[in-house]
Amino acid sequence: MLKELVNPSNFNLLVSKVSDVLVRALDQPLGYAINWGRVWSLWPVHLETACCSVEFGATSSPRYDCERFGIIEAFGSLRQCDLIVVQGTVTRKMAPRLRMVYDQMGDPKYVIAMGACSITGGLYIDSYNVLPGIDGVVPVDVYVPGCPPRPETLIQGCMLLQEKIKRSKIK
Amino acid sequence: MSKEYDREFETKFQETTRLGLEVVKESEEDRLMTLSVGPQHPGSGHFRFTIKVDGDYIVYCDPDPGYVHRGEEKMSEYRNFIQNIPHLERPVIHDSTNITYSYSLAVEELLGIEVPRRGQFIRAIASELNRQVYTLYWLAIYGIFLGHSTMFMWPAGDRELFIDLLTALSGARVTHAYNIPGGVRNDAPNGFKEKCLQYVKYFEKRLVEYEDIFYNNPLFRQRTENVGILTKEDAINLGVTGSVLRASGIPYDIRKVEPYDVYDEIDFKVQYMKTCDSFARAYVPFLDMRESCNIIKQLLDKMPDSGEVRLKLQSNPKGQPGESYKRVESGRGALGYYIVSDGSPKPYRVKISVGSFRNILALPHLLIGSKLGDMPSIYWALNYWPVEADR
Repeated sequence: MLKELVNPSNFNLLVSKVSDVLVRALDQPLGYAINWGRVWSLWPVHLETACCSVEFGATSSPRYDCERFGIIEAFGSLRQCDLIVVQGTVTRKMAPRLRMVYDQMGDPKYVIAMGACSITGGLYIDSYNVLPGIDGVVPVDVYVPGCPPRPETLIQGCMLLQEKIKRSKIK
Repeated sequence: MSKEYDREFETKFQETTRLGLEVVKESEEDRLMTLSVGPQHPGSGHFRFTIKVDGDYIVYCDPDPGYVHRGEEKMSEYRNFIQNIPHLERPVIHDSTNITYSYSLAVEELLGIEVPRRGQFIRAIASELNRQVYTLYWLAIYGIFLGHSTMFMWPAGDRELFIDLLTALSGARVTHAYNIPGGVRNDAPNGFKEKCLQYVKYFEKRLVEYEDIFYNNPLFRQRTENVGILTKEDAINLGVTGSVLRASGIPYDIRKVEPYDVYDEIDFKVQYMKTCDSFARAYVPFLDMRESCNIIKQLLDKMPDSGEVRLKLQSNPKGQPGESYKRVESGRGALGYYIVSDGSPKPYRVKISVGSFRNILALPHLLIGSKLGDMPSIYWALNYWPVEADR
C-alpha cells in the first residue's frame, strides 16, 4: 500500500490521502477559525425585490445599526458578497434575476427570506404575478416573518444565521 | 454627438493622411457601448434601465419597469372596500397614509358619507407626518447615492421620530392602515399633541443643519446644478407631477388646487423653483418638508379637542352604482384613485394613478445627451419609487 502511494504515477492519490488526514486533524481548530471569520463579515447583496427594502434600509440606520452585529450595509460588489436578504415579494419577472444573482456569488453563500411574501407569498398569495415563496428559486437558511418585519426581527434573523454558521462544518 | 465625432474624425483624418498613414473609421455599433443598470445595482432599486453610451455621453435610454408588478388593481376586484386597505398601502410602504387617503376619499364619495371633523384633522396630521417619513427616506437614499454617508445617517435617524409619532397613532411602524373609509381607525392617544409639537420643533432646527451640510456642499452643487434641465414646456408635455413639476417653475399642488378635507383652512405656500435642474428637484422636497412642519403646527392648533373620529359603517358597506375619482398630494405628486362600483360590496374596477410612473417618463428625455456620471443625480432626483410605479 505504502509502496504504491510513493510511486510517482500515483502522486495525486498520495496528495488526496494526505489532505484527508490533514483535514481530519485540523477540522476542529481550523473550522472554528474559518467559521469565526465568516460569522463576522456577512456582506449582503444590494438586490431589492419589493417593499421590505425600506425596513432593510432602516436596519442600517443609526437607531438599529446592524453593523454592531457584523452585518455591513449593502454596498459591496456582487462577487464579494456572501448573503442575500430577499426583501419581500418575488414576482415572475424578478425570480430569474434573483437566481442569476445567487449563481454569480462566490461560495459560501447564505439566504435570508425576509417578510411574509418571500416565505409563502403572504398578502399577495392570490395575485397572478407573484411566486408563493422563494423556496423553489434559491435555498433558504433563515426565515424572518413579518409584513414587513421590524428591524429588530431582521437583526435577530441575522443572529440566528450567525449561530447556524458557527455550528456548520467547513467544506 | 455624431456630428462632433465626425468633425473630430475629419481633423484626425487630415493629419494622418498628411503623415502617410491609414485610418479606419469605426462603425456606429463598435463605438456605442450598452450598459444595463439594475435591478442589482446600489441605488437603482427595483428598476432596470438600459443605456447606450458614446464615450461619456448617453445617447439612448430604455426604462424597464415592472419588477414588482403584483397586480394590485386586479386583486382589489375580489376584496371588499375595507379588505382592500392593507394591500393597497404596500406599494408605498413608507408613505402608506397618503396612498390610503385618496382611496378612502374615493370610497367615501361612492358611499356618500362624510368624515367627522376631528377625524379629518387627525387624517391630515397623519398624512403630513407620513410625507416627512417618505421624504426623509428619499433624501437618505439620495445622499448615499451621491456618496454622502452623513446624509444617509441623519435623515434615517430623524425619520424614526416621525415613525414614533405614527406608531403612537396607529400601532404599526410603517404599514399603518390608519385611514379607512369613514375616518381614522382610532383616536390619538393622550399627550399626542404636545409630543408632536416637541418633535416638529426639534426637526425644524435639524432642517437648518441639513441645508448646511448637504445643500450648501460645493461638491453636491457641482454634481446637480445645471444638470438635467427639464424646461417648463417639457414638464407640462411629459406630464410630470409633484416636486419635479414644481422644480420646473410651476406652482401646482393638489392641496392648493383641489383642497380636500381641511386643507382649505390651512395657510401655506406652494414651494417651487425656477432653475429646472437636478438641484431644484432635490431642493423642492426639502422646502416641502419645511412647509409641512408649518402645516402640522397649524393643524394641531386648529384640531378640536374631542369628538368622533370615525363614522360607524355597516360591516360590508356598499354604495350606489357609479364612479368616483379623488386625488391627494403625496410625497411624489398627485396620487389618484378611480373606482367604479356596480352596487355590490366589492369594487368593479380600481385604477391607481401614481406620481412615480409619471415622473419616470421624463427619464429618457433627461438622460439622453447628458454625461454618464450625472446619471445618479438625475435618476433619483425624479422622486421615483419603483414599487409604486409597478403597482
